Amino acid sequence: MSKRRRLSAAAFLWLPVGVVVSSHVAGGVTAQAADDARTIVEEAQRRTDAKSQRYEGLLQVFDARGRISDKRWTFERLGSHGQSRAVLRFVAPPEVKGVALLVVNHPDRASDQWMWTPAIERDRRIALQDRSTRFFGTDFSFEDLEERDVNQFDYVLAGEEPIDGFVCWKIQSTPRRTKSSQYTRSIVWIRKDTYALARIENYQKDKLVRRLDYSDIQNVQGIWTARRMEMADLTRGSRTRLTLDRLQYNLPLKEEDFTLQAIRRQ
Amino acid sequence: MLFRLISRPYFRRHVLRTMLTIAGIVLGVAVFVGMHTANQSVLMAFSQTVDRIAGKTQLQVTAGETGFGEEVLEKVQSASTVRVAVPVIEAVVDTNIRGQGNLLILGIDMTGDRSLRDYDLESGDDAVIDDPLVFLAQPDSVIVSNEFAGRNGLTTNSRLPLGTIEGEKLFTVRGIMKSSGLTSAFGGNLAVMDVYAAQKMFGRGRTFDRVDLAVADGRTIAECEAELGAMLGAGFTIEPPSGRGQQFEAMLAAYSMMVGISSLFALFIGMFIIYNSFAIAVTERRAEIGILRALGATRGQIRWLFLGESAITGVIGSLGGVVFGILIARGIAASIGSLITDVYGVAQQAGELATSPALLMVALGIGVATSMVAAVIPAYQAARVDPVHALQKGKYQVLSAGESRARAVAAAVLGAVSVACLAAPSIGGSAGGGSRPLFYTGYVLAVVVALLLSPLLALTLARTLRPILRWIRPVEGALAADSMIQAPRRTSASVAALMLSLALVVAFAGMARASYDSIIDWMDTAFNPDLFVLPSQSVVIRTIRFPKEMGAELASIPGVERIQMVRSARIVFRETPVMAVAIEIESLAETSARPPVAGDPAAMYRLTASGQGLMVSDNLAQLQQLSVGDMLEVPAPAGVIRLPIVGVVLDYSDQQGTILMDRTLFEKYWNDDSVNVFRVYLDDPASVPAVRQRILERYEGVRQVFVLTNGELKEYVLKITDQWFGLTSVQIAVAVLVAILGIVNTLTVSITDRRRELGVLQAVGGLRAQIRRTIWIEALSIGVLGLLLGFALGAINLYYILQIVHHDIAGMRLDYAFPTGVVVALVPTILASAFIAALWPAEAAVRGSLVEALEYE
Repeated sequence: MSKRRRLSAAAFLWLPVGVVVSSHVAGGVTAQAADDARTIVEEAQRRTDAKSQRYEGLLQVFDARGRISDKRWTFERLGSHGQSRAVLRFVAPPEVKGVALLVVNHPDRASDQWMWTPAIERDRRIALQDRSTRFFGTDFSFEDLEERDVNQFDYVLAGEEPIDGFVCWKIQSTPRRTKSSQYTRSIVWIRKDTYALARIENYQKDKLVRRLDYSDIQNVQGIWTARRMEMADLTRGSRTRLTLDRLQYNLPLKEEDFTLQAIRRQ
Repeated sequence: MLFRLISRPYFRRHVLRTMLTIAGIVLGVAVFVGMHTANQSVLMAFSQTVDRIAGKTQLQVTAGETGFGEEVLEKVQSASTVRVAVPVIEAVVDTNIRGQGNLLILGIDMTGDRSLRDYDLESGDDAVIDDPLVFLAQPDSVIVSNEFAGRNGLTTNSRLPLGTIEGEKLFTVRGIMKSSGLTSAFGGNLAVMDVYAAQKMFGRGRTFDRVDLAVADGRTIAECEAELGAMLGAGFTIEPPSGRGQQFEAMLAAYSMMVGISSLFALFIGMFIIYNSFAIAVTERRAEIGILRALGATRGQIRWLFLGESAITGVIGSLGGVVFGILIARGIAASIGSLITDVYGVAQQAGELATSPALLMVALGIGVATSMVAAVIPAYQAARVDPVHALQKGKYQVLSAGESRARAVAAAVLGAVSVACLAAPSIGGSAGGGSRPLFYTGYVLAVVVALLLSPLLALTLARTLRPILRWIRPVEGALAADSMIQAPRRTSASVAALMLSLALVVAFAGMARASYDSIIDWMDTAFNPDLFVLPSQSVVIRTIRFPKEMGAELASIPGVERIQMVRSARIVFRETPVMAVAIEIESLAETSARPPVAGDPAAMYRLTASGQGLMVSDNLAQLQQLSVGDMLEVPAPAGVIRLPIVGVVLDYSDQQGTILMDRTLFEKYWNDDSVNVFRVYLDDPASVPAVRQRILERYEGVRQVFVLTNGELKEYVLKITDQWFGLTSVQIAVAVLVAILGIVNTLTVSITDRRRELGVLQAVGGLRAQIRRTIWIEALSIGVLGLLLGFALGAINLYYILQIVHHDIAGMRLDYAFPTGVVVALVPTILASAFIAALWPAEAAVRGSLVEALEYE
């Protein structure tokens, strides 16, 4: 399998970047355009390739009534894209401290996910059927956390549009029949200057249900990375902001720390 | 026209008697309606609880009561026909709140469960629902129903004490659900918690009780059932939620059958009251009938006049019975709810009554039909009244020699047929008790024979009594005996009603005694450990269990000689819920061996202990037509156990039957090593209090443990047995009440019938006290006749009831034992009742106008 084929849609932050592009642009879509779209996506992902990643995240949920709830976690990822494993561990507030999520990504199928609950010393598998549900009260779904293989989608270049003053490629992605997804299609904006993601809009049928905006994009160890992401659930009227602190790439992480036994130990 | 001119004035003149007649039907119909409504209410409440909890669930995967390993969930979720599948644990726990009883805990996985059920919150932080993390991370989290919170003044963050495997724990109310279908399940006593926390709190290991699922879009329920059936194997049941209601109903089959028999018996007795009243009415109105016939009334008109009267009586009585039945149904339902909790370990309360219009219509129909059937013979006899003989008062009450002969011949023939029906099974040699229709035909015929013979026997007995009565009170005794002898038809109707009631009492009492004797005998061997360690106060609630490791801990406590670990669970065998009991058979053989009903004792224990055979209870063998050597196929989550039956033993653990196996077999096929009960044998039986204390101290604050002594457990089992027979006691009381009504009716009519005679007696110097005593003696004599015939029929009835219990209800082999104690107690009860029943008629007889009495007729 060529490197190009193995590139997944995973992005710099493990969070939903991978979704990419497809063909909802009506009529007039040429083979050349489709090919360009795929090339753009692959290049965007290539630029986010890293051996490992670690950050401390602040998750803020703003509900429709204006209430804000905060959670903090630490995130570590070993590998990139479809070959990666990640552990997310909540550190605050106290009532959720210690709860951990292990994600094992696969290039050819949906990831496996397990949750560890220290208070009852139990791990539980997050079933595939539950991936469309909200991720622990945030506006992200479990599916949004998956790193997807580029070959699971079809891409179509739908034009160019500026986001926050930066010119972006507008690319539509549609999951292939083999890919199980809650979304019918997604539209992704990739900045032309850095190949960094600027926005993703997710549709169910023709209804826009979630929008993810990337901001505060900085170059961290050579990788253009958004330090703040905001997912809006347009149905519920709520939004969730994820802010990344102490972000590092290519740290020496041990493979044995990314297993079910390991999250039980810690 | 005839009814307006003839019947209405008659009813007006005899208001009290009319009311007593109606009361017979009222009671019969009320018992029928009350019992069935209560039974249906409990079944409906269970089904509603299942439906409401099921939400949008289309299919449920279960493996009996045992549950199954977590891996089954993943298998189900991977099925192509399944859209969503979620795990569920149900546990019934004591709320420890006075008057609130049990709380149904629904353990669910909030991540996916909202696809099937709504958990909208009335108050509390929405995040509890929306953010499973908060809910999951805190295992003390519960969400309670609005109804339960309202009743107990609970608000968000209130603390709620609940009994768990780790002892009483304080849970935190994280949210209160809005009123909905779900929250009204189990009478509103519902709480939701994380399924994995529930596993830990209730000792479930890594198992789930069931998986609820919805079918994938575009696929049918049948397709899904087929796919899962092939995927999971025979040890699993895949059915819509309503299937659980059917299993519950099957579990209560024995109880429902008892209810049916009792209510039909009540109606039967009510029928006799009607027959009695109409037979007497025909007698009283012979002159009237004669005049009508002389004026041109046809036989048909006379017949329909009486049938019409009986229909009206039936309608009024049935309507009253329906109303009264509904009134008593709530009380009966509460009693059934308690019985089900204690006997079957399934907590269920009927929040509302299931007053089925169909049932009420059936009750009305049965009431009217019963009334009319009871009046058929009197109406037929009324139609045959000869106008010439109509004025020959009293003659009708005499039993002609021809009729006596006809009755005797009919009784002899039917009696022979009845005996032949009984003999038929032995001819056929069927192990299952032969032809059931033949057996029941024989039973009905035996009762018919008793009814046919009752006037003859009453007459014979009355003649036998006469010298005794005359010896006791020369005047009053002779008068009372003559009254009965001259009017055997009137007397026999009352005696027959009393006979039937007492036959019912004797049968139930005999069955109860036989059950007690058998259960006590069984307990003496089966329950011979010194101590029993349980995770719940209730012996039958199996939703909380111990881990296997506790066995070694208990064994290490000083004074403990031996531990036996028992795992019992209801499983589905041949579509019937039966009890699987798993225990260390080798150890059991050493401590509690008893001779089997069938099978070689040594081989039986050896083969079962080595996992090469299974033992079954006698009642299972009886109900499922099993015998030693038969290959048993027991579906389990890990496959179908195919082993021969190596022994049939007496075991009363469950009414539907028990399959006994070695623990290793159960652990292998159910992947479940949890323990329901530890049987503890001590080095020194005298050290029971000390060792009990050591066990309690060992687990104080760590685990919820109840330690019962041998005597306490037996007492508990007998208490449950008492409860089971408690309802039948109520039915017996009603039967006796109906019989007493019959005596009152008979005596009232007897007095009216003999007003002239009694008037003459007074006119020639008879004292009021003598008249009173005459009536009292007559009443007591009817009581004596009823007692004698009742005990005789009861002795026969008991035989049939024991056979029915053995072959059709519980499969229990009960030894015949006449309930002498109850019979002795019944003598003063019935005689006192008869005497009390005679007080008013006696006073009416002596206080009436002498002139009017002499002018009567």
